[in-house]
Amino acid sequence: MLGILGKILISASFVTSVIALIYYYLASRNDENKPLRVGNWLFAAKTVFLLAGSGILVYLIFQHQFQYYYVFNYTSLDLTPRYLFSAFYGGQEGSFMLWILFSAFIGFGLMKWTRPPYRGPVLFFLTLTQVFLLSMILGWDIFGTKLGASPFRTIAEEMPNAPFLQSNPDFVPADGSGLNDLLKSPWMMIHPPVLFIGFAMMTIPYCFAMAALWKRTYNEWVNPALPWTLGANVALLTAIFLGGYWAYVTLSFGGYWAWDPVENASLVPWLIGTAGIHTMIIQRKSAVAQKSSILFAILAYVFIVYETFLTRSGILGSSSVHSFVDLGLYNQLLAFMLVVTLVGLGLFFWRYKELPSPDKESSILSREFMTVTGAMALLILGLVIILGTSSPILGRLFVENPTPPEISFYNDWSMPIVMIMAILTVIGQFLFWKKHDAESLASALINPLLVTSALTIASIIWGDVRNLYYMAYLFCGWFAVVGNGWMMIKLAMKKPKLIGGSLTHLGFGMLLVGILASSAYNEPLVDQKTAEYNAAVERGEVTDEQGFTVTQKEEMLVLNLNEPVLIDGRYMVTYEGYDLDNSVRRGQQTYKLRFEPVNGGKAFYMKPEVYPMLTSSSQENIQWSVDPDVRTGLLSDIYLYVGGSSYVEEQNNRVSERSQMMQNVAEQDTMDAEEQIQNIKFALGETIDVGKFKIRFVNYSRTDSASLPPNTSIGVRAEVELIHPASERVITVDPLFAVYSENGQSYIYSPPSFIPEFDLEFQFTQIFPQENSIELTVTGLEEEYDPEWVLIVADEKPFISVVWAGTFVLMAGFSLSIFRHWGRERKKNKE
Amino acid sequence: MKPKLIIGIVAIVGFTSLLMYNFGESISTYTTFEGAQERSTAHIPGVWDEEKGAEFSLETKRFTFYMKDEDGVSRKVVYPKPKPNNFEEADQLVVIGEMRGDVFYANEMLMKCPSKYNDTDPGQFVDASQG
Repeated sequence: MLGILGKILISASFVTSVIALIYYYLASRNDENKPLRVGNWLFAAKTVFLLAGSGILVYLIFQHQFQYYYVFNYTSLDLTPRYLFSAFYGGQEGSFMLWILFSAFIGFGLMKWTRPPYRGPVLFFLTLTQVFLLSMILGWDIFGTKLGASPFRTIAEEMPNAPFLQSNPDFVPADGSGLNDLLKSPWMMIHPPVLFIGFAMMTIPYCFAMAALWKRTYNEWVNPALPWTLGANVALLTAIFLGGYWAYVTLSFGGYWAWDPVENASLVPWLIGTAGIHTMIIQRKSAVAQKSSILFAILAYVFIVYETFLTRSGILGSSSVHSFVDLGLYNQLLAFMLVVTLVGLGLFFWRYKELPSPDKESSILSREFMTVTGAMALLILGLVIILGTSSPILGRLFVENPTPPEISFYNDWSMPIVMIMAILTVIGQFLFWKKHDAESLASALINPLLVTSALTIASIIWGDVRNLYYMAYLFCGWFAVVGNGWMMIKLAMKKPKLIGGSLTHLGFGMLLVGILASSAYNEPLVDQKTAEYNAAVERGEVTDEQGFTVTQKEEMLVLNLNEPVLIDGRYMVTYEGYDLDNSVRRGQQTYKLRFEPVNGGKAFYMKPEVYPMLTSSSQENIQWSVDPDVRTGLLSDIYLYVGGSSYVEEQNNRVSERSQMMQNVAEQDTMDAEEQIQNIKFALGETIDVGKFKIRFVNYSRTDSASLPPNTSIGVRAEVELIHPASERVITVDPLFAVYSENGQSYIYSPPSFIPEFDLEFQFTQIFPQENSIELTVTGLEEEYDPEWVLIVADEKPFISVVWAGTFVLMAGFSLSIFRHWGRERKKNKE
Repeated sequence: MKPKLIIGIVAIVGFTSLLMYNFGESISTYTTFEGAQERSTAHIPGVWDEEKGAEFSLETKRFTFYMKDEDGVSRKVVYPKPKPNNFEEADQLVVIGEMRGDVFYANEMLMKCPSKYNDTDPGQFVDASQG
């Protein structure tokens, strides 16, 4: 029932948007106030409908109404309220709703703060994008053509041919299939909303640019558009950062960036938006670059829509880690993209002749030239990344069935571009605040260059950088840090309000240095033997059985319980066992790895986790997921995850045995009949887990001579505790070990000690005096004792902290600029 | 004005052709074990040959299994990382690496996992090294 209401609300929201669009058009065409007011009311109504619809969806989720496909597919009974709420935007349909909601809220801001002549057209274009977005969640069926996928569709509508529905049309699943375990993370609460705030805000520069083209007022629009664009930029940057950090610390993607299409989808609009910010700022200052400002504002949003198309139409299906479920929205998304692009660029080129051109060329050493060139470099970088991301489409120019490009494609192209950018930022900043000719600029730059060179040389020596290209890159990165830092300090002493730009560029420089350090000097942490093996592989000296040269290095390590291993010559690492914990995720193991720095220093623990993915595991097959542990340091991070363990293997064996047993019950009897005899080695004082028991070798004990055979040379007992944690019982036995001689020959005498309670018998069968350990033979244990081990993959990633710091500085710089430009706008609004 | 324009056009054309050339080089096509013989790096889609098993050896620290490519040819694949978590469930694999004799050395592996409840769902690929 509520579902139908939800569908009606979304439809109403769509219809009111379309009508609002008409009124906004009328208002804009003749600059009339009356239709504008009607449009605003309709806009508000649309928002209310959509809010109510979202409220219903959230309610259905919280009420576990599993007859709705969305609720069934993304939630389950065991989810805590916060993840139930995040499930609202956990699927494609809900994420569209969230996006439109943010877009609608921003619309009210625009109504309040935008001045004529832009107010009408801006709202017109904002509503236009919302009409398209709303159409994605309509779920209308027009003569067999589906328009959108409703979040309120029922399971019966989703899977009309499912057998369980044909036998019982009113079937309601008892539980949902649950939120993907990877998404059960606090980051899920925050990352998607921030991203959609960014997407929604990036619509605004597009709207303003279109309004400027429509109203033929090409200069003034940048004033109100600039703070919005900056805001969109900060939101996107925050979202990118949150995504990268999430990927790094909990998703075991191995790093913060992988050039994945979905990551690129938020990076490219950010780059183009940043290019737009540059041209808007210079347009405001010097009345140049009107064309580029409009173009960048259009492109930033076009790329958001384009990337939405790529990631949500299913076209990337095979090349992205986070592909959305294909909802059959291909045509609608294509139409959305084409309309946004064609209307945007069409109007741009239609008005092109009219757009103001600079009267004279600006000289190379001017802030205008530098700023526009910087913006162009950002655009080029964005286009290169778009090209790579578009490989499933554009790759067809070269080959059939194209694969994504190699990662090196992105790295090879972005490196020189950002190096040029780094240099431009400094020269641009110096020229921005003061006019220079070549000579005065050179003299102004001498000191920063000296500091840069010193820092570059220092980092080359300290970091043992051998690659010439990296040296040049480092120089550029440091130059951006030093040059912009220099400028910032100068400005801060005069007018601290103006440091936004130089602070941002300083952050960019830090980012460059940090990215190189953390990605090119990423070292696997392995023991001495593996390191030597890897060095030999690198020299091409290792061959396999077939005589081929081995090229794959070994980047993992097996640790046995309580056997310390020296890693990287620096840490003594001991695996101290795992804890099972069901409170966070059922069956989650937390492994304890003690790191003790060899050169003194405080020992610390790394605690990576492994847990079964409940949503995709089955009776016959457990799927494990890992949660790495990251130890963050100022100079370097240690990144570690578990690739396997004795426990995981045991569980897998247990499950596969069970599934075999189910197929073959007859064999089961013979298996049980066999008695298990196992030899287990104990050090003095050691406790070993075997199945449901713990066995502890407490100490040696004396024996009386009466129980010994004649001619005994050695006779000793072992005090052994058998602990059964389930019943909290502890049973002590003391099996005997004796060596006696008969007819000149030595014999071992080890009579069994019985434990009738558990039907076990113990024999003390060997003694190892040097190791101070003994061997016990245990008969009757069901479970096999295997030494406990864990397989870890550990990396040392230097200066990740600098990457984060650079990102924060970038955010701070942009935010400062928002305040500055917004403050100026507010004053104007008051006038 | 004129020479500047020409330089600009040459720069743009030069940059674009270099970019497209490099782009064309860095992508390849999905192929089969046979096709991989001639390539230094190959992307091969296929399915796990279940009958021949799969094993991670603690000694060599390699995960070894047999994969059937789209021609139905089954070859041994060596992957130098732990067994990916959702290996058994994947209904399609893409191995990326190089063929040496009869053995394929995968540097990377992607898995396409089916959705449990909906057969029409195209599912998704997960990078093997990522979990």
